[in-house]
Amino acid sequence: MTQPVDRSSHGAVNLTELLTRVENDHELLDELIEIFKEEFPRILLSLQKSIACGNMKDVEAASHAMKGMLSGLSVTRAASIASRLEQLARDGKTSELTEVLALLEREVNDLLPELDTYTAEKKP
Amino acid sequence: MKILIADDDRMSRQLLMKTLEREGYEVIAVDNGLLALQQLSLPDGPRLALLDWMMPGLDGAGVCSEVRKQHDRPYIHIVLVTSKREKQDIVAGLEAGADDYLTKPWDPAELTARLRVGQRILQLEDRLVEARETMRFKATHDPLTSLLNRGVIVDLLARELTRTRREDGCTVTMLGDIDHFKSVNDGYGHVVGDEVLREVARRLLSSVRSYDFVGRYGGEEFLIVLNNCSSAQADVRAEEVRNGIAKHPVQTSRGPLPITMSLGVFASKDWNLDQVEETLAKVDSALYRAKADGRNCVRRAAPNTSQDPLRQLIK
Repeated sequence: MTQPVDRSSHGAVNLTELLTRVENDHELLDELIEIFKEEFPRILLSLQKSIACGNMKDVEAASHAMKGMLSGLSVTRAASIASRLEQLARDGKTSELTEVLALLEREVNDLLPELDTYTAEKKP
Repeated sequence: MKILIADDDRMSRQLLMKTLEREGYEVIAVDNGLLALQQLSLPDGPRLALLDWMMPGLDGAGVCSEVRKQHDRPYIHIVLVTSKREKQDIVAGLEAGADDYLTKPWDPAELTARLRVGQRILQLEDRLVEARETMRFKATHDPLTSLLNRGVIVDLLARELTRTRREDGCTVTMLGDIDHFKSVNDGYGHVVGDEVLREVARRLLSSVRSYDFVGRYGGEEFLIVLNNCSSAQADVRAEEVRNGIAKHPVQTSRGPLPITMSLGVFASKDWNLDQVEETLAKVDSALYRAKADGRNCVRRAAPNTSQDPLRQLIK
């Protein structure tokens, strides 16, 4: 474990909050980022497909999983959009799904590069 | 202490695992509700559990409900971890049997503090169970010999007699009395007398099967109940018990003392009886005959014999 990093959040990830959650364990943070990079594209694809098919049960499950992952990594704004998708699916409001999905896609567009940058910056 | 984490989200699982391992917990992590229930149903399974609400197979609330149906297990402290924040969701989780809840994303300090609360509650429960078991033992056992006390052994005899009558089986009852015990107390003192009683109790227990019952009936009288023991075997078994006492002197603080026991034996099948009072009267008569016949012997309460005092009285 290294010393706490005093760094404010600029991008999608609230790094200060995230480091508090992992108790400044950078090794653990790297592990979480790796898991996220593996899981995120799969869940996003599942969300996109289920919205395209109009399967509300699957939309609810995928957006719930997406919300969990994003909030786990302190990607607060995107997590809140995923939460909105989950609620829309639960309420059967199909008409707004595509629009909110697009909002989510824009929000997470720079997420993976941002995480890569964070990982690269840490390397000596 | 063992703790179970059940969460289908890999990131949450990993984060919880690391946080809890750092706190010294032995972590078991699973990714669905059915595996969680399986772990919590194991005899030496975890007694602290962190369950995600939404999981495939069986959700966290479902796991809670199932766990709470297992009344024969030690209590499990369950914390539901959920991103649901609505009051009715929290109430539903607690109603399902959860003890506490945490909302995602959780704060590590709050998480560990809540788990410490859970540990304190479990420790309190363990102490209460231990106290209850101690009281139960004291209420059912003789304090000197730790054998079953008179009330319990007589109740067990009554139960066995009814059962064997219903199943057309046979219960063998023995009433044993230490010979000349008064002279032990008078000659060596009550401390030695107690040592003899304890050793006799130990020998009686070791001469019967694990599922037979031995109780202290009175001062130096012991009642032995043999389940499903045939009438033909009754005398052999009683002779084994008698020999177990007489074979070696009892070692006491005042040196070895030769101790013997007289026994009356009663086999329910011989009499077709299922009344405990009559059974005790018959076996007591048989014991009386063993004493009258010189002690350190076994006498059987056999029907149609002129030696039965009750029968003589009726005549």
